[in-house]
Amino acid sequence: MVEPGTFLYELWVSRWAILDGFGTTVLVSMLAIVLGTILGTLVGLVLVYGGWVSRFLVRIYVDFVRGTPVFVLVLASFYLLSQIGIQLTAFQAGLFALVVFCSTHVGENLRGALQSLPRGQTEAAKAIGLTFPQIFVYVLAPQALRQALPAWINTATEMVKASTLLSVIGVAELLLVSRQIISRNFMSLEFYFFAGLIYFLIDYAIERAGKAVERRVALPS
Amino acid sequence: MSQMLRNALAGLTALVAVSAAPALAQEQGKLDEVLARGKLIVGTGSTNAPWHFKDESGNLVGFDIDIAKIVAKGLFGDDTKIEFVDQSSDARIPNVTTGKVDITCQFMTVTAERAQQVNFTIPYYREGVALLVSANGKIKTYDELKAAGSGVTVSVLQNVYAEDMVHAALPEAKVDQYDSVDLIYEALNSGRADAAATDQSSAKWLIVTTPGRYLDAGYGWNPQSYSCAVRRGDQDWLNFVNTTLHEAMTGVEFGTYSASFKKWFGVDLPPPAIGFPVEYQ
Repeated sequence: MVEPGTFLYELWVSRWAILDGFGTTVLVSMLAIVLGTILGTLVGLVLVYGGWVSRFLVRIYVDFVRGTPVFVLVLASFYLLSQIGIQLTAFQAGLFALVVFCSTHVGENLRGALQSLPRGQTEAAKAIGLTFPQIFVYVLAPQALRQALPAWINTATEMVKASTLLSVIGVAELLLVSRQIISRNFMSLEFYFFAGLIYFLIDYAIERAGKAVERRVALPS
Repeated sequence: MSQMLRNALAGLTALVAVSAAPALAQEQGKLDEVLARGKLIVGTGSTNAPWHFKDESGNLVGFDIDIAKIVAKGLFGDDTKIEFVDQSSDARIPNVTTGKVDITCQFMTVTAERAQQVNFTIPYYREGVALLVSANGKIKTYDELKAAGSGVTVSVLQNVYAEDMVHAALPEAKVDQYDSVDLIYEALNSGRADAAATDQSSAKWLIVTTPGRYLDAGYGWNPQSYSCAVRRGDQDWLNFVNTTLHEAMTGVEFGTYSASFKKWFGVDLPPPAIGFPVEYQ
């Protein structure tokens, strides 16, 4: 039996709270990555293939969001959206901010990857009679997605770390839960270290999974 | 980080205040709104014992929580008709001004600057600095500390004003500053310090949670009032909360208030004198 007052005892007492916080962190990060990727893919496609009006508008969106700290995005979606009549819970507001942030990064990555492909490929594909959808699906996308993959994995790990900012608006994710526990037992070093370890493990898992996908889809060279 | 947050929030608050101003006029009073809703929405934190924190079973507890429950009880005769919104200290004013909460009770120090942004209720606690000493040390009271002059060392949380603050009470004492709260107690435990200067409430809470280990040297200074805050401009709601809190400290709910005070600060409050109202004495 572990003695009261030790770290392991406090960890055991707090196990459900920590598990809750861990679940919230994973849930909000994964939702942000999935939704942000879907939105970001649209953003990337518009930036490359859109007409000038839509390209201009999306460019403003991307530059504005990327030029703003995530922290400010989180506060703005919590406080400003409620003023224009959109009542979001803290979780929804935080998720919204993360999705918006994620979408601009994914969009820019995709744009960079698509534009790095030599023009000659599109021209050659046209020359053999492929339509644009065919060119995109068979020629451009397979290469661009491979190129964008490392940057996408990086963005995914960034999202997990950015989710800590949601503690400011009262979303009880892993960091806020850790602070709640520390305020009860004053074991700041132990519990911050433990939280750091869990964040590292989540990001490490994402990175390993990403690397595995990269290997799997790598073209024989 | 915290300063940046405060600036960002101040900016947002200003923006919101401007955009919300026209809507304010046609709203019904907050008191009616809360009564119609059937529950009170209270902004508070979750990371500061004994004010507002999670106990081992994950329930939000503390003195701020009890104060909020007294208001809910006043509204509905039921202190469970309450919803707590978890907020950081920096969100206390914005969450009130944007109407995300009906009231904030979160160890909020009353200042004239803040009173320009929110309406404060009457205070429910007076915070100050205490000198915590070891129960088995040689020096136990403020007079002994003072008499020892430069022979005593006081541990305190690192702060620009920390040295001056300690010297206001013990002009000759040696001041050792530490990075975190656990370290100032650690210094006291290990004998590197003869006293630890910390918030009255923290000192009392520590004495409650670790009986027999520490004593309060019995001197308090640097007064600060703690009040709840409500949105500006709704005098009816402010009056209601004030009346509820006032009667908790002097009238029918004194039992609830004093039981909570005893629970978190370990101090038995003398009941208000019967007869002539204590306020005018």
